[in-house]
Amino acid sequence: MEILLLNILNGLSWGMLLFLIAIGLTTVFGVMGVLNFAHGSLFMLGAYLCMQAMQYFDSFWFGLLVGPLCAVVIGVLVEKYLLKKVYNRDVSYQLLLTFAVLLILDDGVRMIWGSGYHIVEPPAILGGIISVAGQDYPVYRFFLIVIGPIIGGLLWSFFHFTKWGKIIRAASFDDIMAEGVGINVPLIYTAVFALGTWLAALGGALSAPQQSLIPSMGEKIIIESFIVVVVGGMGSFPGAFVGALVLGLLESFGTVFAGRMQMAIPYILLAAILLIRPNGLFRKGV
Amino acid sequence: MSADSVLHIENLGHSYGKFKVIEDISLSIGKGEMSALIGPNGAGKTTFYNAISGKFKPSKGKVFLNGEDITGLPSHRIVNKGMCRSFQITNIFAELTVAENVFSPLVIQQNKHFRLHGNVFKDRQITEKAMHTLEQVGLSDRADQAVSTLAYGDKRLVEMALVLVRGPTVVLLDEPTAGMNPEETENMISLIRKLAKNSKTTFFITEHDMKVVFSLAEKIYVLHQGLLLAQGKPQDIRANEQVQEAYLGRKTHA
Amino acid sequence: MMNIQKSHSLSGPVLLTILLFIAPLVMPTYWVILLSEILIMGLMAVSFNLLLGYTGLLSFGQGAFFGIGAYSAALMLQAGHENLFLILLAGMLVPLLAALVVGFFSVRLDEIFFAMITLGFGMLFFSIAHSWIDVTGGSDGLPVFALPGLNLFGVVQLTFYAPISMYYLIFVTVLICVCLLRMIVHSPFGLILKAMRENKQRVSYAGGNVRVLRIAAFAISGAFTGLAGVLFCLFNNMATPEFMHWSFSAKPVIMSVIGGTGVFLGPLFGAGVFFILEQIIIQFTENWMFFLGIVLVPIVLFFPEGVFGTLRNKFYKVAGRGLQPPSARGKRQKNEKGTV
Repeated sequence: MEILLLNILNGLSWGMLLFLIAIGLTTVFGVMGVLNFAHGSLFMLGAYLCMQAMQYFDSFWFGLLVGPLCAVVIGVLVEKYLLKKVYNRDVSYQLLLTFAVLLILDDGVRMIWGSGYHIVEPPAILGGIISVAGQDYPVYRFFLIVIGPIIGGLLWSFFHFTKWGKIIRAASFDDIMAEGVGINVPLIYTAVFALGTWLAALGGALSAPQQSLIPSMGEKIIIESFIVVVVGGMGSFPGAFVGALVLGLLESFGTVFAGRMQMAIPYILLAAILLIRPNGLFRKGV
Repeated sequence: MSADSVLHIENLGHSYGKFKVIEDISLSIGKGEMSALIGPNGAGKTTFYNAISGKFKPSKGKVFLNGEDITGLPSHRIVNKGMCRSFQITNIFAELTVAENVFSPLVIQQNKHFRLHGNVFKDRQITEKAMHTLEQVGLSDRADQAVSTLAYGDKRLVEMALVLVRGPTVVLLDEPTAGMNPEETENMISLIRKLAKNSKTTFFITEHDMKVVFSLAEKIYVLHQGLLLAQGKPQDIRANEQVQEAYLGRKTHA
Repeated sequence: MMNIQKSHSLSGPVLLTILLFIAPLVMPTYWVILLSEILIMGLMAVSFNLLLGYTGLLSFGQGAFFGIGAYSAALMLQAGHENLFLILLAGMLVPLLAALVVGFFSVRLDEIFFAMITLGFGMLFFSIAHSWIDVTGGSDGLPVFALPGLNLFGVVQLTFYAPISMYYLIFVTVLICVCLLRMIVHSPFGLILKAMRENKQRVSYAGGNVRVLRIAAFAISGAFTGLAGVLFCLFNNMATPEFMHWSFSAKPVIMSVIGGTGVFLGPLFGAGVFFILEQIIIQFTENWMFFLGIVLVPIVLFFPEGVFGTLRNKFYKVAGRGLQPPSARGKRQKNEKGTV
């Protein structure tokens, strides 16, 4: 019983991080039609920049605020000077270009911060442990479980109730129509990519106290967020939420029931969904 | 079903959810006939074509080709049974040459598409037939050009060649003159007329251009809001009051 | 009948073959080893490009078949089978079967969805190789201690322990495979592959069963990729799960795009550029991935037909041979999601 509860908590906290990364990825795909291979690297970058800012300001919360914003600057540069040029090209070129960005960011971080582990301490208020069903459990994971739906809810409201949110949704359905009614589509693209970058970097910054930082941490998470996005339905917001929770829980329980084969679980899920519902659990619609 | 009917359709219907696009269409086309399907935009012409050519399975009804039930078969199997179609929006192999375009259906028809050796350009069974078709449509001098470099009207001719090259028994043409200038349209009409005269092929075309329809078709079917409103000889259709009201009321004179 | 076929000059490939034959005789051993690796990865990239450049399918799980080939060889050698031909044959057949299964499930999808499902299947094989320690040796991989020899007509016994003899084994195998692949590309099947790349719906309306044709292309590509894996296993004395990881599957994609997907030998050229670039860069810095990224960006942005493809087209223009360059594959295809 305790194990069940702990696995649910672990699955939820990991799922929430996946969700934050996957919504950025799925929104960028929904609007721009580009699957961003470097999205995981932006996640990684967010964690490192958060760490750096935290050391500078001596506050986790400042790190959480400043780190992702610095990552956004890099994201905007990438979109404006690189991605913009391949929107009308074949999908292989888009994947390869974002893959090149991944290589540059991952190795760039390695050059600056080294390839060793870095540890980020959670802020004092979230640093403790509490007893769950007789087991010690970090408070920080509860924080993640709570913060995920809050950010998701805020984003959902942004897309449904604000002018900008509605414009982005319109652009994701039809560029030409959006341009016809006087929406500046290139600007929207840059804004959406900035938003996606911010979400990835925020996810990275939030994950920093929970896992140790290494330059390759983005490479693991990018594949899992691809899976979340495909499982949920490319471009789908609720899909990303459900997909992330399903994958988070499956991985968490996988350690219990699948033993060594737990590594294969995400890929079995991916293949199964693509075969049964090629469009994912939820159809397109940000 | 009459004995010489090549394409026979019974109570065909298709709906998306609750919305019925076409409903209860029955018709029978005889061998070698040149018939046309007309109807205002949104009448369901393309849906009708897609349903009988295997793009999707119709939700109701049956389709028979030469007496054989082909309802819901995938498109490639219908093609292999002798019914080929063209598309309203040009649907060809853009970056291949004209010759390679026309070779492709022949390679498949002659069951050579899983052959991993040999050269199509040296296969006389293929090249001779292909060149014959290209001569028919008037593209033989452009065989080595990439079709992406051709003018629009010529691309439509490649589309025709792709349909004709297999020597099908039934040819469905979806708006063969769509987007063409008057000269190209004239050219296409005389091509279709020539083809229909010289072969035993059955033609079934849709057109929005009434001039084309009345100058070509021996029999006309009128589709209106998904239903078959009328069928008959061109002069009967012209005289039909219902049709005039639904369709020709817009003062279209041939 | 008029000449409607583009002529394919063979002088370039023949010259390349002669150069590759002579090269190890005059090169230092280090470069012979490097050239061996280029040829193996070049074979993988050319096989991969049968899918990307000719059929229009971006497979991101090609490493799986490379790895399955490598493991088949390693397992056979561990079990004491020493017949070279049998090992090469098994290293083609086992990946062929695996590719038939993966292809059966994957080819219904297009574009990014196809890339994702092949990536997923590739990582599934990676997970198996990583976790099934009893058979695959887990993350350490399977070492190979004794290499198979080749008995020529009962007279000469060849071994492949020296780098130069290993090079010639690789050279001959790759040469044969590339010739076979070239034959396939120019065959009736090859024409239909290109037709599917351009417009799969029209292939279907020309009477072709797109799904079966695609599975066939996927299986053939997988078989040759598997053979490249066998060669790598012999060359490297090792089969490791890393071959099946998605980052390894990205290599043939990079090589093909560097070289040019519209040219048959483009990916081989891309493999050469990739490794030579690596050699140059690691002399200055250990962060070679960073500079690979820096180099890839302009290639993707400014060489839509790859470096080799663009140079070749320039050459034909200068030479004024009146040949039409193969089309740019950089354009976006019609995005038709869903099933065949």
